Amino acid sequence: MNDLVVVGEGLTGLFAAWLAAKRGARTTLIAYGRGGLELSSGCLHLASGASPRLGITSSRLPHPYALVGVGTVFRAIQALFDLLEASSLPYSGSLDTNLLLPTAAGETIAAAFAPHSLARSDLAEHGPMTIAGLTGFRDFDAALASRRLADRLERSIATVDLPLPGPAPRRDLYATDLARRFEDPHWREETCRAWKPQLIGVRKLGLPAVLGLRRHAVVLQAIEEALELTVFEIPTLPPCVPGLRLETVLREACLAAGVDVLEGAKAVGRVDGRGSSARASGVVAMAAGGPQLHDAGAVLLATGDLLHGGLVAQQNGLIRESVFDLPVVHNANRATWTSPHAADPQPYASFGVRVDASMHPLDDRGEPLLPNLYAAGGLLAGARRTDEGSRQGVALSTAWRAVEAALP
Amino acid sequence: MPALSTQLLVIGGGATGLGIAWDACLRGIKVVLVEQSDVGQGTSGRYHGLLHSGGRYVLSDPPSATDCARENEVLRRLAPTTIENTGGLFVAAPADPADFPDRWVAACQQTGVAAEEVNLAAVLRREPLLNPSLARAFQVRDASLDSFDLLHLLCTSIRAHGGQVWLRHKVNRLLMQAGAVVGAEVVNLASGESTHVGAHLVVNAAGPWAKTVAALAGVDLPIALGRGTMVAMASRLVNTVVNRCKPPSDGDILVPIGTVSILGTTDEHVESPDDLTIAAWEVDLLLAEAEVLVPGIAAHRALRAWSGIRPLYRPAPAAGAETRELPRAHTILDHGVTHGIPGLVSVIGGKLTTFRLMAEQVMQVVAPRLGVAAPCRTADTPLEPTGRPYHRLPHRLGHLEHPHDPPAPQVICECELVTRPDLEVALGAIEAPDLDDLRRDLRLGMGPCQAAFCGYRAAGITLRTLDAPPMDGGLAAFLQERWRGLRPLAWGHTLRQLEFSRRIAAELLGLTDAPEAP
Amino acid sequence: MTHPTPALTADLCLKCNICTAACPVAAVTDLFPGPKAVGPQAQRFRHPRLPSPDASVAWCSGCGTCTRVCPHGVAIAEINIQAKARLTEEHRPPLRDHVISRPEWLGFAGSLAAPIVNPILRIGAARWALEKVLRIDRHAPMPPFARRTLRARMSQRCVSSPPAEASNVVAYYHGCSTNYYEPELGEKAIAVLERLGCSVILPPQRCCGLPLQSNGFFPAARRQASTNIRLLHPYARAGIPIVGTSTSCTLALKHDYRTILGVGGEAADAVAQGTFDIFEFLATRLEAALDHVDFAPVEATALYHPPCQLKSHFMGTPALRVLRRIPGLKIVLSQSECCGIAGTYGLKHEKFAVAQAVGQGLFRQTAESGADYVLSDSETCRWWIEQHAGHTVVHPIELLARSMRLA
Repeated sequence: MNDLVVVGEGLTGLFAAWLAAKRGARTTLIAYGRGGLELSSGCLHLASGASPRLGITSSRLPHPYALVGVGTVFRAIQALFDLLEASSLPYSGSLDTNLLLPTAAGETIAAAFAPHSLARSDLAEHGPMTIAGLTGFRDFDAALASRRLADRLERSIATVDLPLPGPAPRRDLYATDLARRFEDPHWREETCRAWKPQLIGVRKLGLPAVLGLRRHAVVLQAIEEALELTVFEIPTLPPCVPGLRLETVLREACLAAGVDVLEGAKAVGRVDGRGSSARASGVVAMAAGGPQLHDAGAVLLATGDLLHGGLVAQQNGLIRESVFDLPVVHNANRATWTSPHAADPQPYASFGVRVDASMHPLDDRGEPLLPNLYAAGGLLAGARRTDEGSRQGVALSTAWRAVEAALP
Repeated sequence: MPALSTQLLVIGGGATGLGIAWDACLRGIKVVLVEQSDVGQGTSGRYHGLLHSGGRYVLSDPPSATDCARENEVLRRLAPTTIENTGGLFVAAPADPADFPDRWVAACQQTGVAAEEVNLAAVLRREPLLNPSLARAFQVRDASLDSFDLLHLLCTSIRAHGGQVWLRHKVNRLLMQAGAVVGAEVVNLASGESTHVGAHLVVNAAGPWAKTVAALAGVDLPIALGRGTMVAMASRLVNTVVNRCKPPSDGDILVPIGTVSILGTTDEHVESPDDLTIAAWEVDLLLAEAEVLVPGIAAHRALRAWSGIRPLYRPAPAAGAETRELPRAHTILDHGVTHGIPGLVSVIGGKLTTFRLMAEQVMQVVAPRLGVAAPCRTADTPLEPTGRPYHRLPHRLGHLEHPHDPPAPQVICECELVTRPDLEVALGAIEAPDLDDLRRDLRLGMGPCQAAFCGYRAAGITLRTLDAPPMDGGLAAFLQERWRGLRPLAWGHTLRQLEFSRRIAAELLGLTDAPEAP
Repeated sequence: MTHPTPALTADLCLKCNICTAACPVAAVTDLFPGPKAVGPQAQRFRHPRLPSPDASVAWCSGCGTCTRVCPHGVAIAEINIQAKARLTEEHRPPLRDHVISRPEWLGFAGSLAAPIVNPILRIGAARWALEKVLRIDRHAPMPPFARRTLRARMSQRCVSSPPAEASNVVAYYHGCSTNYYEPELGEKAIAVLERLGCSVILPPQRCCGLPLQSNGFFPAARRQASTNIRLLHPYARAGIPIVGTSTSCTLALKHDYRTILGVGGEAADAVAQGTFDIFEFLATRLEAALDHVDFAPVEATALYHPPCQLKSHFMGTPALRVLRRIPGLKIVLSQSECCGIAGTYGLKHEKFAVAQAVGQGLFRQTAESGADYVLSDSETCRWWIEQHAGHTVVHPIELLARSMRLA
């Protein structure tokens, strides 16, 4: 019998399962596929603007931040930080200012916390910098990364195309392929030797984020020593390595803490009893042979939004929650879900499940539907995480609160 | 202002205009063709890709049917690489009028459209997704035709024969002299420069804009605009063109073309040639009609929706016209005769399958006016060397797997297998291209991910290659254009794709400002 | 239960590359474009009536990681396996593929002639010759045949039909590996089940057919599937669980028959739903019995590598839930998605180097872990890891049997 079943293997689900297992709960994490960390730069976006703290504290209901409070955000981040430090994946940042980070398209994004290798870009520092592309690597373009950035920062940014050693690969390489190659010390040495002559006089070098997966810290240090300059990373098109580093740390932390991780199964919720005595008894997971019941003292839905199937948007204008068929705050007129412009805020982004301060999904009267059912992360209504720059902040803080509430 | 003179000025770079220019070139006539946008941005580039057997018109418009049947065979000789020989089916669903198929077959015989009844079990084996309850099925000579390929071939051929094709050149005014049209003032939309083009004759083949162009000479053309919406499904649900065997109506055709299958189409009267909006009910209707052909189609991914405008000659004005009932045959108007304004000939309507014939008929009016007696040679002059095979679906993947010079080239658009060399050639061949132009030429960004990856990759290449590109290589504008076609289908998996793309653009790449206006 | 044709799920691909990032083969070789590229992406270019345009899908090992990690519902591994089968139909496969796809024949002949065959297989020159003739890599693990098969040893348990009294009866699907190579494993598994109150019978059964499927011989694989369904259905219908110790065999019964081979129907469904991996069975049906067992402590570290085929059961790792009951046992998890053998993939001379590279991380982890035990639920994984990491590898049931004082 599980104390907690977590559904969903994104940042929210992994973090929640890890927290629960560390508190001694028998925890099973069930996921239909992996989550969005592969699309993520690995940064922790809390709230854009001058001060993340201010952005969080000025959130109003029904925003999840208003439900959990800035203290919870801080505690959640601190817990994650400790894990990251212990896993050789240090982050920098603060709750009070946003770091400005360069992107592969020459824009900047703001994040409260970022992996060291990204934060070292330190755009506030005015020294010269060079951005390098890697020959044959199509998912990062140094010209695109530098042109607009130079214009915005009003200084010149040099670019260079650095070669990759060895014969031309027989297919296009992804960021993960390069990251694995960089973990081979021989390949790394040969690469640095080839690069050095092209980097004479360069002090600060921006590279696509391909400097190792599991052994990132070692790779980064080795490259900097060999090239004798400061290196920073810029996230590439997916598969995005800094996001995958974070995912790997969290997944392994879950496994080490004794979480049963079950990938590949779609989950459907089970409810026992009726009316006021109704409880979530667990979930039924669709295994290869057929349905399998997983009993649970509590169930936490971390299934995400429309992208990963926590919410399903139908042609007829209805939006459904995919595990317990919970009520979803949304607009039933399909034509209003999207804005005409891709870059504008999108109405569909705020659709989701309404919860109370304990992360219980609510019915139409505002009452918790089931005493032992919880929801967290992108599944929740009220947040427009892309537009607000609150993606990871909402994920981590609501996961924290949900685990707190689910495990007395 | 710079000026040049030519014999024939053709306004409009769709299949009609290009066909006319091509025909003229082959008669030794000096031609300048001007097109306000890129090749394929008008109606010719917005259709469902059907090379008609003629079956759709045997009862409603028999002369058109006969023309289609004949021109179908001609085009197969002229441009085989733009055509996939899918074959076609006319299928009667259980609820369709039971007497229609026999009448239809008789009409096929009368009009010379090849049609043969086929065994339903064999049809279902060949096309396993089709409705198992179909009543009857007939085989016809439909095929799918890539209009972008065709239009590009025409451009290349015209230029190779000394004709001029000016893209992104818009006609500001028609030059008049003593009540006759003697040319046009044409502005280069990229540079803002205008040129006087003097011509012995001007042909107005401007499609949905024909009324606007004719008005420049004071001619009021009664043209009705019918907007048709189409939906591309993300994969080949069928490998044969499938038509409903019933009186023509909305959503009764499914065309496999390239890597997608297209559901077509609706017909809505519109006022403006730029009105390409798509209503939710049109998409719902197309999917509901297609359900009859492919049960459960709504569970398949709808890739994208777009619309095209059909210009139809409407001699007697009628309130709220049902544009579908108007004959689709083309109309050629020599304004010297019709309006006392010589020097201008307008051609309106028609369908892509018969473009060559239409051009020949226009030239029958035009050539004598130019004092040229040379006959039409388009039916016997292939647009590229003969002996080339029909287009086949696997060919892009086959080339990549078995490259002529290994290693295989870098793939920029993975969905549609567009390579870096393809892109570099296109960037060199097109004047001042943006990513959307490259898309039309190469199918860049036309696959399931709708440029989520290749937009960035191609933008980088564009940035490095062009003289004065936008700072983002045109990426934001391209993504916005892709967004437009996804919005009408924004539910289910298509909404997932849209959000995926948006998340990369906004959160990974930081593209949050509205793009510069196209 | 409906299973959509894998090829139709290609539509659901968003091109996100989660599968590409997780693929163990793409991680080690640029000969393989990756599961997304050869799966849903290439599928859009494959025409049912034209020859396959692409050969690079042959590098897919069929490990199933891609399907498991895809959040959008694309049955990538299944698409790839079907595409490979088409290639097999279009090109004449080597004799070797026919041979390694039929472990039942090999096992039958091998065990009969075990005293002669086993020593020969240990001779380097013989393995060299085998590589030259059949292209089975000389370093591929080829374990010795058992002289007496499991069925011969357990003839009293062999039945031809379900017993009238079905409660507590368990039907053991041993598969070729346990019968012909590792009968002692079967004996231990049976002992564990019986100690927990089950009465174990050996139903009639044939090779699951998975090697035939992996090598693209779909008609032959379908015949195996139909035969096994026919033989096992009476047991499933009688409510007798079908329990196996080979995670690949049980996956075939649960999933591949219906989804990849298209052998469906009520009987297939019943067999699928009635099939269990042994630890799955212990963890879900015998918890109460396990609660009554006095487990002897095993003061040791065990490195556990869940096979990729086990993970494709989509039920997590039930062995961990059960082994947790053993006092003193510390379990370390493999960090690798796949050990590299992927069924018969690693046996092939032309694939061997890639297969070895796939497993490199695991071999290193094994060497560095200093673990006392190395565990894996799939026979081919055990043989392969043993060969490369130089450490004995056992089925976790053996560790459980030891702690239950049965071994």
